[in-house]
Amino acid sequence: MTTKPTVLFIDDEERIVRSLRMLFRGRCEIFATVDPHHALDIVRRERVHVVVSDQRMPIMRGVELLRQVKEISPNTMRILLTGYSELEAVVASVNEGEIFRFISKPWDPVELQETVQRASAISATLFDAAEELKLKREEGVRRDGTGFLIIDEDPATAVAVRQIVDADLQLDVPVHWSTNLEEGFELLANHDIGVVVSDIRLANEDITGALKALKQNNPEIVTVVTTPHRDTGVLIELINEGQVYRFLPKPAGRTLLGRNLASAFAYHQTLRAAPKLLQSHTVEPIRKESDQRLVSRIRGFFSRMRRGGSDLAQAYEGA
Amino acid sequence: MNALAETAVDEAPSSPPPRLDANLSSLVKTIDPLTPEASINEVSELFLAPETQQLLSIPIVQRGRVVGIVSRYQLMKIYMKMYGREVYGRRPVSSMMNATPLLVEFGQSIEEASHLITERMQFPIMDDFVIIEQGRYVGLGVVIDVLKAMEERIERKNRELAQAYSRLKSSQLQLIQSEKMASLGQMVAGVAHELNTPLGYVKNNVEMVNGTFSQTVELLAAHHQLYRGFVGELEDETQLEQAVGVIEQYADDVNPEVMADMGELLNDTLYGLDQIRELVVSLKNFARLDQAKTDNINLNDCIDSALVIARNNLKKRAEVVKQYGDLPKISCSPSQINQIFLNLLNNAVQAMEQEGEIVITTWTDDEFVNASVTDPGKGIPPESLPRIFDPFFTTKPMGEGTGLGLAICFQIVQQHKGRIRVKSRPGEGTTFTIRLPRQDRPPPAGSISGSQGGTP
Repeated sequence: MTTKPTVLFIDDEERIVRSLRMLFRGRCEIFATVDPHHALDIVRRERVHVVVSDQRMPIMRGVELLRQVKEISPNTMRILLTGYSELEAVVASVNEGEIFRFISKPWDPVELQETVQRASAISATLFDAAEELKLKREEGVRRDGTGFLIIDEDPATAVAVRQIVDADLQLDVPVHWSTNLEEGFELLANHDIGVVVSDIRLANEDITGALKALKQNNPEIVTVVTTPHRDTGVLIELINEGQVYRFLPKPAGRTLLGRNLASAFAYHQTLRAAPKLLQSHTVEPIRKESDQRLVSRIRGFFSRMRRGGSDLAQAYEGA
Repeated sequence: MNALAETAVDEAPSSPPPRLDANLSSLVKTIDPLTPEASINEVSELFLAPETQQLLSIPIVQRGRVVGIVSRYQLMKIYMKMYGREVYGRRPVSSMMNATPLLVEFGQSIEEASHLITERMQFPIMDDFVIIEQGRYVGLGVVIDVLKAMEERIERKNRELAQAYSRLKSSQLQLIQSEKMASLGQMVAGVAHELNTPLGYVKNNVEMVNGTFSQTVELLAAHHQLYRGFVGELEDETQLEQAVGVIEQYADDVNPEVMADMGELLNDTLYGLDQIRELVVSLKNFARLDQAKTDNINLNDCIDSALVIARNNLKKRAEVVKQYGDLPKISCSPSQINQIFLNLLNNAVQAMEQEGEIVITTWTDDEFVNASVTDPGKGIPPESLPRIFDPFFTTKPMGEGTGLGLAICFQIVQQHKGRIRVKSRPGEGTTFTIRLPRQDRPPPAGSISGSQGGTP
């Protein structure tokens, strides 16, 4: 009886496929194809734990493929492996593909093996709880008191989020707003926050490190980044080290922002109802030194921060 | 002499010249005016005085209000009559003054004053004008001063315009340069990305083969040990057991099947390295930094070189159909011609809303070497067609096009004494045709070249 995870590789360059197949030989049950449609058929047919897809393919973009994989099999972990890091593709990989990792070609073989292994383990536990997760994903529990936090210097963002939450979504929940990092984390420590809407720069300082640390400590808090800064490198880090839920270029239209805030809030509730899902947002350790310095500045807040109930903390830690 | 002691302040202002919007204050000559009762004799004396010699006329003011102006010309008319002075000399100046002098408000700008003057003044200029403020006399204004000030201003404006023009020209050059840099940057980024695919599997393959190689080394050592055991060279039985252990351990990792796979990976690796080499060579060819600026080349080679660079953009969206004719070599700047084709190819693929064929045709006629690039894209609206070669004209969304691509193509073609034409139907597609003169035969008499092609 095999306990090997099942992994699917898709790339329009057959040599990549062949190379990956060899790299994972003996470690996984491997499906590999150059045809995205064939790939989707496999996901429908088999219990696939991890899908590793190229981005640029003639028939279908990688993020589109991964979006469909998510629909067909939400417990399958999705990884984008690409040589092209255009902003558009990276943004789509967050917003549409909701991917676990963004890996650039050429990759490091050992790192890729480890990442796929970790993703497989997570996926296996999700599949084991598939029935329960399916229910939780569908029902969505309303938690009163859970609010939004905006970390942004731009009052327009705060105004827009407040209008959306109150008028468009008609959620009777608090919306907090802070224009600096310490104040924002003070709010996080003292209030029950479900969704953080944040820019990535405050007072000319890069605050992505704080968002990464937040995900590390409080994976149930869903982060929506809205910013005028368009740096694919930063965004890739926000995927791998910060598991950002949405990335919206600023200024985002009210409809777009509204739709994404609604889905972020709903997803936060799903995460609370089904803490097992939190594992699927396990992040990479923070690598950049500047990020680490920032994190040490706000470390004190984390110890005071509530986890969404002790059960949640246990479930996450136990994972 | 009761009349005027001239107290002209500020004779014609030397420098700096008055500002365009400055009021008349700089031009006012504060001259003591005459009263209406002053006699013509007195006026004549005054006109002869050295202080007033430069004035054409003198204002006449009663209780602060301007009532008229008297000019040398009018006096001259009197004195030219027989006994003029005797007959008219004692009469008051009011009897012959111009009672409707040109009045200009003190607060008006020199420019406005000049408009008034040119509208109202008669030529030859016989009168100056009177400057008043809220109806009260301020001083005399000299027409020539106004005209001089205006002339200076026009000169200054001309200088400013010339400066602005040269600034504009240099910033346009900068823009063209930055457009070139931007397209170069795009190209480099595209090729760098293109390199990542072969690099990806080459690196992975080599690391895997390397791993297998290390295992194979250990395995060989074990086999050697085994061999020594067979031929009786081993004294210690446990060494044999160790060797067998190693061989068993690696049975899964190193076996003929795996070796065959590794062989395949090495073949892929060689293929990948070839791809990388090809990309690097094409980059080098494209930029031609290490070659002569002008060279005798075949246009087909330029297109091929541009195609390799554009491949990353074309791939997956367009099939390229090459219909190359036999072309004579022409002398041109290959890197520039490459740039034209790269630009046309990128435009072609951007115009395509769905997958399709880009057809590249080359042919030759008596005078020209021709190349056309046809795409089945959305076409160019007829109203845009006459403007597509204009600098900064773009139909692409903000930030996507600088509107300099085709302008640069046009410039390059012109420098090569060639022509560029466009034929487009909205919804059906677009064809750009480049014609470059052949140098291998003299052009027939009466031929024209170097003109911009229009739409047929």
